[in-house]
Amino acid sequence: MTAPFTALARNQSKVFGLPNMQAAIMPHPLGGLPVPQVIAKVDAVFDEIVAKLTRPLPKVPVEAKLAKSLWVEVDVKDEWDDLQKFFMERGWGDGMLAMPPTEARVAAMVGGSGFPPNHVVATLAPKMGLATIELIAANAVMAGCKPMHMPLLIAAVQAMAEEQFNLYGIQGTTHPVSPLMIVNGPLAATLGIHSGSGLFGPGPWSNGVVGRAIRFILLNIGGAKPVEMDKATMGHPGKYTYCMAENEPASPWPSLAADRGFDPGVSTVTMTGSEAPHNINDHDSTCAGGVLLMCFHTITETGQNNVNHPGEPMLILGPEHAATIAKEGYTKDDVKRAIYEEARIPLTYFSEEQIERRLTRYLPKRFKDRHRSDAMVPLAQRWEDVMVLVAGGTGKHSMYVPTFGSTRSVTRAVLKPDGTPWKPEDFK
Amino acid sequence: MKLCSPEAQALPPSNFKTAPRPETLAGLRVGFLDNTKPPADKVMAHLDQRLRERFPGAQSFYVSKTAASVPATAEMMQSLKLNCDVVITGFGD
Repeated sequence: MTAPFTALARNQSKVFGLPNMQAAIMPHPLGGLPVPQVIAKVDAVFDEIVAKLTRPLPKVPVEAKLAKSLWVEVDVKDEWDDLQKFFMERGWGDGMLAMPPTEARVAAMVGGSGFPPNHVVATLAPKMGLATIELIAANAVMAGCKPMHMPLLIAAVQAMAEEQFNLYGIQGTTHPVSPLMIVNGPLAATLGIHSGSGLFGPGPWSNGVVGRAIRFILLNIGGAKPVEMDKATMGHPGKYTYCMAENEPASPWPSLAADRGFDPGVSTVTMTGSEAPHNINDHDSTCAGGVLLMCFHTITETGQNNVNHPGEPMLILGPEHAATIAKEGYTKDDVKRAIYEEARIPLTYFSEEQIERRLTRYLPKRFKDRHRSDAMVPLAQRWEDVMVLVAGGTGKHSMYVPTFGSTRSVTRAVLKPDGTPWKPEDFK
Repeated sequence: MKLCSPEAQALPPSNFKTAPRPETLAGLRVGFLDNTKPPADKVMAHLDQRLRERFPGAQSFYVSKTAASVPATAEMMQSLKLNCDVVITGFGD
């Protein structure tokens, strides 16, 4: 392995039951180097590899047992200087001021869930930390949530723990990816999850604190501390907070939740492993073909993971663009098919090394025409993998959100402990 | 001030029982789990060649993950278990 990944690899070998895994550490990088330089690095550790394959393994260290209590006494003078410094030293926060998770605040937050505090919702990678209700509540307090937000956070944790979401990959990768929370259904408005103008920005709504709570949960329960465990080369601003609701009243089509078989009265949380959004500006087109043409050419970027992984590229249409498209009779599936068929990238836009080392090796069907000079590459494996949402407010803008690629989005209903859906009237 | 630590604990894992290490790789089956990160295939092929030069009779067995960021499947791991005496894989970029 290469040196910067040592801490993450050691953690994984430990949590998955091979604490005495042997490794030869090489200087970073191997990727992107000419082959002779790669071979030289391998040769430098060859004898070490042989020795580690033929020498008895060291004894397994004794594992510490679980601590009985999560509660700690902190000796600080005030909440806004000393305590914030303590949070930073412990690596508990995201670098911004955080609300202290006191007994009263955590108890109130737990009360918003309907579950007992020690109920385990899931285990979260890479640490495989136990996400209990009390821990989710403590992180929600720190992020500034209200107790009413707990049901959303629980559904999100359940979704992120699904195998197909590949949280381990999302947490540890060098790629700039963050879970994006998409809320559908009547609870979005009740819980203050904004779907209209400026939804990805600041405002008097709860998108910020709910998305921030997800990041706290990923940092503190999943254990993806930046630099050592979260290996993002740069990350993206959505890693602080990334939460939205679909603008269902402004959409000409069924919602994402309806697409996935949920009844209108059931609120859902969908988690996607997403890059930062990229704007699609079209103030001039007056027909579906014009708006879609602008979408096709904006989203056909070569450096996105949807090109070289079987991902789910996501188009978030502004309501005005969606209306322009829908008035000509286009369904949402028509838009997905059009993106699959028309939003294609000339193979000549990729380097020979990338075509040989990655594209044709791992996605042979998608790159099957590599020997044709006019070959065109789609952004997804199938048209059904394209995601189309409607969100935002006034204006002629839409957004493209590429995904991590090695992940599938997961939708979960927002349910009470008895398995029935939370309803807006439950929060009055 | 009494605070709830937001950091999770992980259940102590049940550790795998590891096979005894061989004293030599001569005549043994060496597995290569390609994590698919370029140039892992070239690293593995070079190691394979050098190991077979040094250890007469060593054989190689290759398994390739479907993508770098997803775990090897249970079938892949079982295949390595059945067909190999030792296994080499890579981690990182």
